[in-house]
Amino acid sequence: MENKSLTNRVELRNIAKSFGGVAALKDVTLKAMPGEIHALMGENGAGKSTLMKILSGVHQKDKGQIFIDGEEAHIKNTFDSKKLGIGIIYQEFSLVPDLSVAENIFLNRLGENGWWLKRKKLNQEAAGLIESIGFTIDPSVKVNRLSIAQQQVVEIAKALSENIKVLILDEPSAVLGPTEVLKLFDTLFKLKKNGVAIIYISHHLSEIFKIADRVTVIKDGTSSETLDVANTDKDTIIRMMLGRTLNAMFPPRETAVGKEVLRAENIGIAGKVKNVSLQVNEGEVLGIAGLVGSGRTETVRAIFAADKRTAGTVFIHEKKVAFASPVDAVKHGIGMVPENRKLQGVILSLPIKENISLTNLKGISNGLGFINAPKETGNADSLIKKLNIKAPNGDLATGKLSGGNQQKVVLAKWANTNCKVMIIDEPTRGVDVGAKVEIYKLINDLAAQGVATLVISSETAELMGICDRILVMREGQIQGELNKTEFTEENILRLSIGAH
Amino acid sequence: MGTTLKNSIQLIIRHNTIVIFLIMLLVSAMMSDAFFTANNLSNLIRQLAPVGIVSMGMLLVILTGGIDLSVGSVVAMAGVLIALFSQSMPLSVAVLAALGSGVLAGAVSGYLVSYQKIAPFIATLALMTIVRGCGFIFSKGAPIMVDDQAAALTDFGSGRTLGIPNPAIVLFIVFAITAILLKYNVFGRILIATGSNEEAVHLSGIKVHLYKFSVYAIIGGLAALAGIISTARTSVGSPNLGVGMELDVIAAVVIGGTSLKGGKGSAINTFLGVLILGMMGNVMNLLDITAYSQQIIKGVIIILAVLLQRFQDK
Repeated sequence: MENKSLTNRVELRNIAKSFGGVAALKDVTLKAMPGEIHALMGENGAGKSTLMKILSGVHQKDKGQIFIDGEEAHIKNTFDSKKLGIGIIYQEFSLVPDLSVAENIFLNRLGENGWWLKRKKLNQEAAGLIESIGFTIDPSVKVNRLSIAQQQVVEIAKALSENIKVLILDEPSAVLGPTEVLKLFDTLFKLKKNGVAIIYISHHLSEIFKIADRVTVIKDGTSSETLDVANTDKDTIIRMMLGRTLNAMFPPRETAVGKEVLRAENIGIAGKVKNVSLQVNEGEVLGIAGLVGSGRTETVRAIFAADKRTAGTVFIHEKKVAFASPVDAVKHGIGMVPENRKLQGVILSLPIKENISLTNLKGISNGLGFINAPKETGNADSLIKKLNIKAPNGDLATGKLSGGNQQKVVLAKWANTNCKVMIIDEPTRGVDVGAKVEIYKLINDLAAQGVATLVISSETAELMGICDRILVMREGQIQGELNKTEFTEENILRLSIGAH
Repeated sequence: MGTTLKNSIQLIIRHNTIVIFLIMLLVSAMMSDAFFTANNLSNLIRQLAPVGIVSMGMLLVILTGGIDLSVGSVVAMAGVLIALFSQSMPLSVAVLAALGSGVLAGAVSGYLVSYQKIAPFIATLALMTIVRGCGFIFSKGAPIMVDDQAAALTDFGSGRTLGIPNPAIVLFIVFAITAILLKYNVFGRILIATGSNEEAVHLSGIKVHLYKFSVYAIIGGLAALAGIISTARTSVGSPNLGVGMELDVIAAVVIGGTSLKGGKGSAINTFLGVLILGMMGNVMNLLDITAYSQQIIKGVIIILAVLLQRFQDK
C-alpha cells in the first residue's frame, strides 16, 4: 500500500469540502504520477476550482488526505503549498501589472539577494526561463503591456522559477490562439519529461486527446474513475460529464439569409487593423477566426465605437452612420457581448435584474427616470426563464452565478433590446459544456429572429458549428472568407497562420 | 440559543451604522444631561446642516468611484458671494447666482475628471485651491457682513418652520431627494453601476461620462447651498469658512458604510454618519473636552467604525 502511493507524485484521497452547508466537493480521488499529464474535466460548478484552492492552500479540506510523493501533506496556507512544490496557473492571472516581467517572475524572492534589486541578473534569469519554454518576451517590459497570451507565459515561467513537482493549469488555452496553444503543449511536454505531474483542467475535449495521458471527470463534487485517454473517446467523456453526446452540441439550423444589415468598409486602427471590410445580413451568423492579437476584437470594438478607429465607414441598412461612442451604436440597434465577461460584460456586485435592465433603462422607467419595480422584476424574470439562467430570482448578485450563467446574463441584456446586430466576442470562454449548448441555441434563435450576428471565437469547432460564413484574420487583415462547404479546422488554421 | 446569538450578531454587523448611531445616542445621553434638551438638539442639527447637505453630494461622487476635495472652498466662495450679491441684487437672484457659482466650480471638476480623465483627487485638489483663492479675491480677504436689506436671508437662517430650524429642513429635503434618486431612479442606478464597473456600463450604451460629470456639478451646487445657509445662519460671508470641511464630509460618508472604491453606499446610512459625527463633537463640547483631544477621539472612532464595516464585507 505504502509503496503504491510512493509512485504517485500527487494523490488526493476522498477529499470533501462544504461551504456553509453546501457541499462543493463530496468525494474526490485523483492520482497523478511523475511525468503524467492528467486531465481534469467537469462542468463549471462541478468543484474543480474548489479542489484547486484546496491544493493551493486558499481553502482547507474538511475530509480526506493529500499525499505528495507518498508523504501526507497538510496544506494550511498558500505558503505551505508553495513549499511542497505545487504550482498553479489560474484563469485569472496573479501578476502585478506595473512591475516588469522579471520582477513578477521572481516577486517572492526579490529580497533574497540583499536590499538592492539586481535588475540585470534578474532579467537574464527571467529571459532564460522564458526561453526554456520556447517563447521570447523582453523581461524588462511591464506586464501590463503584454498580451493575455504573453501574460500566461509569464505565469508559467513564474511557477517554473520555483522547484515545482505538481503544476495545475485551469483552462490555460482559453486565452490562447491555435499556435500559442501548440507552444503551450510543447512547454507541458518538456515539464512532463522533467518528472512534473501536470493536472490540466479544460473544457476542450480535443486538447485532452492531444496531450493527456489519463482523464478524471468531476461531476457534482464527486470524481469518476480515471480513464486512460488512449482507451476512451469523446462521447464517453461527454456522457460522463453531462449525459449528452457531441453531435448534440451544435443545434441544427436552417439559414434564411435576408438583406444586408451591417456593412463595414476599410476599417483601420493605427498599428492594429488595416482595411477590414465585412458585411452581415439578416438572419446570418458571420464568424471571425484568427489568433489572439490578429485584430478581431479590435475590429468589432471599433465598429461598436468602444474604441476609436482611424479609417473606415460603417453602414446600417445601407445608410452611412458615424458613431461617437457605444451610446450611438446601441441607438442604431447594435449590441455587443464583450470579450471579458467580468471586466466588461456584467457588474458582479449588482443583482441579475439590474444587469439585465442596464441596456433598456428607458423601458422600465417613466419620463422622469423613476423605475417601475414590478415591471423590471417581471421583465427580468421572463428573460431569466427564457435564457434558462440558473438563479432563484433576479435579485441574486450576478457574481454568485457560474461563468456560463453570467454569460447568459450578458446575452439577456441584449435580448432585452430590439437589436438588429449582435456582436458576440468569445461567446463561450470559460463556460461549461452544458451552458455552451444553451448559448449556441440562443445564437441560433437570434438569427432565426432575423438578427445579424457576428461571432468571434478562438474555438474553431465552435465557429464551424454555428456560423454560416467565417472570415479569418491575421495581423490586422482579413486573410480569407470561408463558406460552409469550405469549413475545416485545417483551412481556418492555414489562413490564421498565413500558410496558404 | 447559539444560532439566535449568531443571527443577532449578524444582524448587528449588517446594520452596523444604525448600531453605532444608537450607541452614540445612548452614550451621549448618559454622559451629559444637557444633550437631550430641545435647545441642544435643535442647535446641533442646525449646525450639522451644511456638512449634511454636502455629504449627500459626496455620497453621489464617491458612489461613482470619485472624490471631491474642493467642497470646503466652494462653501466659502458661495458664502462670500451671497453676502456680496445680496447687497445689490434681489435676494432670489443673489441666491441663484451663488448657487450657479458652485455648480460652475463643480462642472469644471467634472469636466476634468470625466472628459479629461484627470484623477478626481488631483482635479478637485486643484479646484480646492483655485476656488479658495476666488473666495478671497471676491471678499478682498475680509469677512463680509450680510446687508440689512437682505434681512430675509438671515431671518431664514436663524428661523424655524413648525419648530424645526430652517437649515435642518433644507438638509432633510436634500436627504430625501438623494435617497429617492438612489433607490427608485435610473440616475442613482447608473451611478452605482458606474462605480462598480464603469466599462460594463459604457458598453451597455449609457452616457457614463455625462453621469460622472453631473455628480460633480451637483456636489458643487450642494456645497454652494451649504455656503448660503452658513452665511444665512451667521450673517457673515467668510472666505475662511469650510477649511478642512471636505474631511468631515468624507468621514461622514465613510462612517455611513460607503465604499471609497465606489458602487456601494446609501443615503440613509450617510445621513446617520453625519449625525454620528455631529453628536461626537457635540457631546465632547458639552463635556468640555479640549479641541486637541477631540481630534484624537474623532479619529479613533472613525477607524473603529470602518473596522466594524470590514466584518460586513466578509
